[in-house]
Amino acid sequence: MSKRLLEVSGVSVTFDGFRAINNLSIAIAEPELRAVIGPNGAGKTTFMDIITGKTKPDEGKVIWGEKSISLLGMSESQIARAGIGRKFQKPTVFEAQTVRENLAMALKNKRGPFDVLFYRKTANGAARIEALAAEIGLSDQLTRVAGELSHGQKQWLEIGMLLAQDPRLLLVDEPAAGMTPAEREQTTDLLVRAAKTRAVVVVEHDMEFVRRLNCKVTVLHEGSVLAEGSLDHVTQNPDVIEVYLGR
Amino acid sequence: MTKSFLATNRSVLVFLLVLSLFTLAVTVMAEATGYGLISTSFVKTLGKTLCLCLIAIAMDVVWGYCGILSLGHFAFFGIGGYAIGMWLMYARTEEIVAGSLANQPLPATPQEVSDAIGTQIFGVVGSSDFPLIWSFAHSLPLQLLAILIVPGLLALVFGWLAFRSRVTGVYLSILTQAMTLALSLYLFQNDSGLRGNNGLSGLQNIPGVSASQDDVSIWFFWASAVALGLGYLLFAFVTSGKMGSVIRAIRDDEARVRFLGYHVESYKLFVFTITAMVAGIAGALYYPQAGIINPAEIAPIASIYLAVWVAIGGRGRLYGAVIGATLVSLLSSWFTGGSAPAINLGFYKIVWTDWWLVLLGLSFVVVTLFFPQGIGGLFDFVAVKRNSDYGPSEGAWRAEEGKPE
Ligand SMILES: Nc1ncnc2c1ncn2[C@@H]1O[C@H](COP(=O)(O)OP(=O)(O)O)[C@@H](O)[C@H]1O
Ligand SMILES: [Mg+2]
Repeated sequence: MSKRLLEVSGVSVTFDGFRAINNLSIAIAEPELRAVIGPNGAGKTTFMDIITGKTKPDEGKVIWGEKSISLLGMSESQIARAGIGRKFQKPTVFEAQTVRENLAMALKNKRGPFDVLFYRKTANGAARIEALAAEIGLSDQLTRVAGELSHGQKQWLEIGMLLAQDPRLLLVDEPAAGMTPAEREQTTDLLVRAAKTRAVVVVEHDMEFVRRLNCKVTVLHEGSVLAEGSLDHVTQNPDVIEVYLGR
Repeated sequence: MTKSFLATNRSVLVFLLVLSLFTLAVTVMAEATGYGLISTSFVKTLGKTLCLCLIAIAMDVVWGYCGILSLGHFAFFGIGGYAIGMWLMYARTEEIVAGSLANQPLPATPQEVSDAIGTQIFGVVGSSDFPLIWSFAHSLPLQLLAILIVPGLLALVFGWLAFRSRVTGVYLSILTQAMTLALSLYLFQNDSGLRGNNGLSGLQNIPGVSASQDDVSIWFFWASAVALGLGYLLFAFVTSGKMGSVIRAIRDDEARVRFLGYHVESYKLFVFTITAMVAGIAGALYYPQAGIINPAEIAPIASIYLAVWVAIGGRGRLYGAVIGATLVSLLSSWFTGGSAPAINLGFYKIVWTDWWLVLLGLSFVVVTLFFPQGIGGLFDFVAVKRNSDYGPSEGAWRAEEGKPE
C-alpha cells in the first residue's frame, strides 16, 4: 500500500485582491503518478510555487513526509533538500554550462558551500551522470553547452536534473510544451518510469499526453479542485466539460 | 589534486609563467637588484599595479562570476591599508620618539613615551590621546590579522544583511556604494581616530629597516607579485570545478539554483567575504608602496573604477581582470601624470589631464555595448579555433522540430 507523502489542505493565495488559489486541497501518495490539468490561469503553476516555497499562501497547510513537517516555514532550498524537485514551465537549464555541468550540479550531494568547494569528482558520480544522460537520451551531448540544445533536449535535460536530485516528489510543469509528437511519447515514458519509485505530479493541458500517462487526474479550475479521478471519469463530469468547452 | 587542477586550468599556468617572467624582468632592471634601468618610483608604480590586479581579480570573482556588482570593494582595500598603516606609523613614530628621549638625563616612563608618540601622530588633529581603535597598533601580528579579519567581518555582516533580504542587482550596488560612502565620510572626521583627512603617512618607511627605498621598493614588488600569484591560484580554484559551476549558475539564474537545493545566500556570502579579505590584503600591500593613505582613497568613485577595469578587461575571466587593471591604471597614471602629449586641434587643445576621464568613460561605454567580453575576449578567437568541435553543430536542433527559432 502506498503512503501519503504530501498533503495540501485548505490553501488560498491572493495576488493583489485576485484569488489565484482558493481553498485548494490535494494529497499525493508515494509512489504515485498524478496529472493536474486545467485551463490557463487555473492556478496550476501557482500550486507548484506554493509547494516549493516560492509563494507563501495566505492560509492553509502543506504537510510533508512521515514526520508531517510543514513546508510553509521552509526556504526554497530547504524544501528542495527535503526531497522535492521541480521542473519549470519554461525550460530553465544553465545555458552557459555544459550538459555534464548541469547534471553534476543537480546530482544529490551535500549542498553546503564548503562541501562544494572541496568536492572531488568520484567515479560513482560520473557513472550516475552517464546513466542519467542515457535515461534522457543526451549521452552524446554531455560536453555540449546546454544553450545549444534543442528545445526538447533542454526539457529533457531539466527532467534529468530533476532525477539527478533523486527527489521523492517531482513536480513537472508542462513538460511537453514545444515538443514534437515523438518527443512527447518519450517524455511520457520517462515520467511513467520515474513514477515507479517516486511521486510525480505532472501539469499538462494536452489531453493526449495525459491519456498516455494513464493515471489519476486532478482538474483545477479557478484555484480549486473541480474534479478528481480517472481521465475518463473526469472528462465525463459536466462541470469539467463546461469549463473546457465553455472557454 | 593540485596537479589535476593545474592540468585542467592551463590558463592558470600561463598566467603564473607570465607573472614570473615579468617579476624577473623587473628585478633585473631595478635599481637595487639589477642594472638600474627603471627608477625606484616606477618599481613602486608596478608593485602598486600588481596590487590593483589582485583586487581586480577579486572584483571579477564577485561580479564577473557571481553576478554581484559590488561597488564597495575599495572600502575593503582601504581598510587593509589602514590596518597595516596604523602599525607602520606607530612603530616608526615609536622609534623616532625613543631616539629623541634617549638623550634625556632620566629614562622616560612608558606613559611619557606613549604621550610623545600620541602627540606626534595625533597632533595634526589637535589631540594626543590614543583612540580605542589604535589599541593593537603596537603589535604587528595583530594588525596583520586585522587586514584579514576587519574586511572579512564587515563583508560578512553587511553581506548577510543584504543577501538575507534578497537585495539584488542595482539595489545591491547602491547599497554597497552607500557602505563605501559611509566609511569614507566617517574616516574624514577628525574624531574618527584615524587622523581625518590627513590619513596615515610615511608608510613607505618600514620600522626597524634601514635599507634604502630602492631595496624596500623591490621587496614590496616581490611581495605583491607573490600575493597576486597566490590570489590568482585561490580564485582559479574557487571558480573552477563544481564551486565555479554553482557560482556561475547563481549569476545566471539564482532562483533556479535555490530549487536545486543550494542555499544561494551562503554562496554569495562566501564569495563576498573571501573577495573582501583578498581586497584587504591587496590594500595592505599597496599603501606602503604609495606611502600615504587617506579617506579620499576609499571614495565611492574608486570602487566604480574597479568595475570599469574589470569590464574593459573582460568579465568572468581572471586574466581579463588583470589585463583591464594593468592597462587602465597604467594608462591613467600616464595621462593624468601629464606625460601624455597634448593634441592641438587648432581651435582647441586637448589636455589629457582634463580629458582622460572622458576618454575612459567613452571606452567603458564602447566596450560594454560592443565588446561585452572585453579585451580578454580576444583570447577566445584563439581558443575557439582549437576547439571548434564544441561549436554549434547541425545536431543542435532536431529535424522533427523544424528550423531552430
Ligand atoms: N506573481 C503573481 N502575481 C500576480 N498574479 C499572479 C502571479 N502568479 C500567478 N498569478 C495569476 O494567478 C493565476 C494563476 O496563474 P498560474 O498558476 O500561472 O496558472 P496556470 O499555470 O494554471 O496557467 C493567473 O490568473 C495569473 O495571472
Ligand atoms: Mg502554468
